[in-house]
Amino acid sequence: MSPPANTHLAYTPPDGGWGWAVVFGAFISIGFSYAFPKAIAIFFKEIQDFFGTSYSEIAWVSSIMLATTYGGGPISSILVNRFGSRPVVIFGGLLCGIGMISAAFCTSILQLYICVGVISGFGLALNLQPSVIIIGKYFLKRRPIANGLAMAGSPVMLSTLAPLNQFLFDNFGWRGSFFILGAILLNCCVAGALFRPIGMAADPVQKQTVKQAEKTVKEQPNNSSVEMVPPRAVSLLSGTEEEEEDKDCCEKFNKYLDFSLFKHRGFLIYLIGNVLMFLGFFAPIVFLAPYAKHLGIDEYSAAFLLSILAIVDMIARPTTGIIANSKWVRPKIQYFFSFSIAFNGACHLLCPLATGYTGLVIYSVFFGLAFGMVCAMLFETLMDLVGAARFTSAVGLVTIVECCTILLGPPIGGTLIDTFGDYKYMFIKCGAVMVLAGTFLFIMNYYNYRMLAKEERERKVTEETVKDNKHIRTETEDGNIWAKEKMQDGPEVEPLTDEKEGLKKEVNGKSEV
Amino acid sequence: MRVSGSGPGSMRLRLLLTLAALWLSDANEPGTAMTTRDINQQTRESISDYTVKGHDLSTPGSHLSTQDFNQQTEENISNLTSAMYSISIDGFSSAPVEENVTLYSPANITLLCNLTRTSTDSATVEVTWKKDNERVESRNVTINEIKNVWSTQYTLKIRDRNQMGNYTCVFKSDQEVQATFHLQVPQIDGKEHHIVSYVGDSVVLVCKSLKYIPINWIWYMSNGSDQVAVNDSLMPDKYIVDEKYANITKLKILNISEKDDTSYWCQAVFKLGESKGKVSLKVLTYMTPLKPFLAIAAEVIILVAIVFLYEMYSKKKQMHAEDEKEFEQIEQLKSEDNNGVENSTTRHRKV
Repeated sequence: MSPPANTHLAYTPPDGGWGWAVVFGAFISIGFSYAFPKAIAIFFKEIQDFFGTSYSEIAWVSSIMLATTYGGGPISSILVNRFGSRPVVIFGGLLCGIGMISAAFCTSILQLYICVGVISGFGLALNLQPSVIIIGKYFLKRRPIANGLAMAGSPVMLSTLAPLNQFLFDNFGWRGSFFILGAILLNCCVAGALFRPIGMAADPVQKQTVKQAEKTVKEQPNNSSVEMVPPRAVSLLSGTEEEEEDKDCCEKFNKYLDFSLFKHRGFLIYLIGNVLMFLGFFAPIVFLAPYAKHLGIDEYSAAFLLSILAIVDMIARPTTGIIANSKWVRPKIQYFFSFSIAFNGACHLLCPLATGYTGLVIYSVFFGLAFGMVCAMLFETLMDLVGAARFTSAVGLVTIVECCTILLGPPIGGTLIDTFGDYKYMFIKCGAVMVLAGTFLFIMNYYNYRMLAKEERERKVTEETVKDNKHIRTETEDGNIWAKEKMQDGPEVEPLTDEKEGLKKEVNGKSEV
Repeated sequence: MRVSGSGPGSMRLRLLLTLAALWLSDANEPGTAMTTRDINQQTRESISDYTVKGHDLSTPGSHLSTQDFNQQTEENISNLTSAMYSISIDGFSSAPVEENVTLYSPANITLLCNLTRTSTDSATVEVTWKKDNERVESRNVTINEIKNVWSTQYTLKIRDRNQMGNYTCVFKSDQEVQATFHLQVPQIDGKEHHIVSYVGDSVVLVCKSLKYIPINWIWYMSNGSDQVAVNDSLMPDKYIVDEKYANITKLKILNISEKDDTSYWCQAVFKLGESKGKVSLKVLTYMTPLKPFLAIAAEVIILVAIVFLYEMYSKKKQMHAEDEKEFEQIEQLKSEDNNGVENSTTRHRKV
């Protein structure tokens, strides 16, 4: 079984080794990004009393934080394209820490919006995207497992942060808690330190090629060696500067943020499907506890429902990663993703039938399962569609578009509840939207797989004809065989073996003559 | 039973009709006055959530009728409201029963105790009522017995705080059993956990009484074992009392110092008494959260340093290994190359 061969990476991802340390770092980073805006709600009551504001004004802090985390996606992508994951995550961690520390000294609600909402939110944005991106750089064959494990950080962090926040609040008040949370957020810098750069810049294979080229230049003293200094090696040495001169400014900007993705069929399918899905994704979680209280269940049991959801979610994410990595599912992972979205929608549609506490517990279990399945594969499917090289820009563009629907989802649900006075319409709306999104993705991905298979066949045919042509050329030409072999370097999976073959051919060629 | 309509004339008519329907006489004890029973009503402020147990008090020869006590009417017959509270005791061997009765404003109260007796108990029972462990007069007490149930009622008019307290009905034959009604003003909930604030900062202490609206709020702070009233007019730049809504009071303390680390009491004044809620304030200096902060920051720096050092170390090892591998490869190629050259020269020579 081979994954869709469109990674476009010039090296083999290690699929292990230091990759697991990177997964751990991503676990922490992603955990903070998703869990922090929710966990901070514990302080709202006290802050509301302190500043004398209404609850909705306080709730804006969370909304601004979430909006900045998703809206900062493109900027994050541009920075990662330019600097790599590690510096961006470390800077993001510092920004989060500074934001929360300055929030501890705030004297008005507006300052709180800026410090907690904008600054810390942007810091979390700089944490979220690079973590997801670097998983794609370190894993290929085991990427779904790595994604599943990293995304499991969100429920684990939420379960840890919620009681921790309560403890901090009881002992230090809200100002002291923000101060200490600033230090805790600095741990994102540790996660960032684990994100060792990998790729063309630090690739040992390329270095070896360059070194050998230098050595052969020294070993061959004749004039032709000047020509033979392989142009490819020169370009490798000078890096991307040569390429930049050739491109115009549009393409240069595309290097930082790949807008040509909007012509990519798979990307568009993913974008439309996900935008639709997020309309109904978060609202049920927001309203689960109030719905339970509305049915007459007491506060602690209602909160326990959310804990059940988080625990099931925690287990579901890595499990989904393992399932998605199996040889039956991996080639058709998009179908699995659409199925999990539709499953999620079906849960919501059936929720109004649950009238007692037992029914709600069953709903929470299935909801947790479905939620975990969708989240675990959220970024994996995007990587699968656009490939790891373009994923950097793709994730930025996707998050900023999703930002709008994520923020719209719960308020629309709230309006439905207020107008009809009944929670079931909100569940029906969420369920319907998600089933629709799942079906849409299923059909469009079926079409996409067929088109991909057709393109693959065509590509193989053209490749074979090109190979035949090359073979004829190498036999007839002499002298510049070395250069030709060098220029064969391209997006191949194992350039090292080709190098060896090239050397052997050169030796054999001489011996034949 | 909901009575609607308006106008004094219709009110009087309805009053007569209801009184006629609810006439009750206590025929068991000759000489006791007949007590008129008012309709049970519930004030808009909803004094109690008790369900009243209606009971049959029919004894032969007396004009009695079943009564249904309903607490849903909104009408006041007189200026005062009336309510009935009852406790049922299950036999002489049960433990003393207690009931909390929350009274918001002056009212006419009827306290009812029902004792279910078994056939083995003796027929004679002595019933007394006590207020705060002192016997009360039997003027307002009625005692009945129907089938197996002894019941006693005590009517009283609550006008001021002197009548608030604990009222106990005692049934005594061979054994003794009692039940107590605690008549009290609405309780105020403070905060169980202390509020944390910092030196130089300001804090807002909140007390709420959502169901019952007090006449007034007074704040006290504990000074040693005393409680001193907090005077916000004397010290306006230290204490500000915010009374935007009558049922929520907020005490804002500005410029906090370590002396303010005590308990504060918010006292709600009702017509029938006062009740207090406790909110305690804990004052910390900025040094207190600084220690955990520095500890965590140090841990972060150490971990980052460890990760970077490990990376440099493993890179060095990798470069070493690479150089060795390269060296070996070059040697191998050189030897192959030499062999190749020799072969080609030999061939040349051969040719």
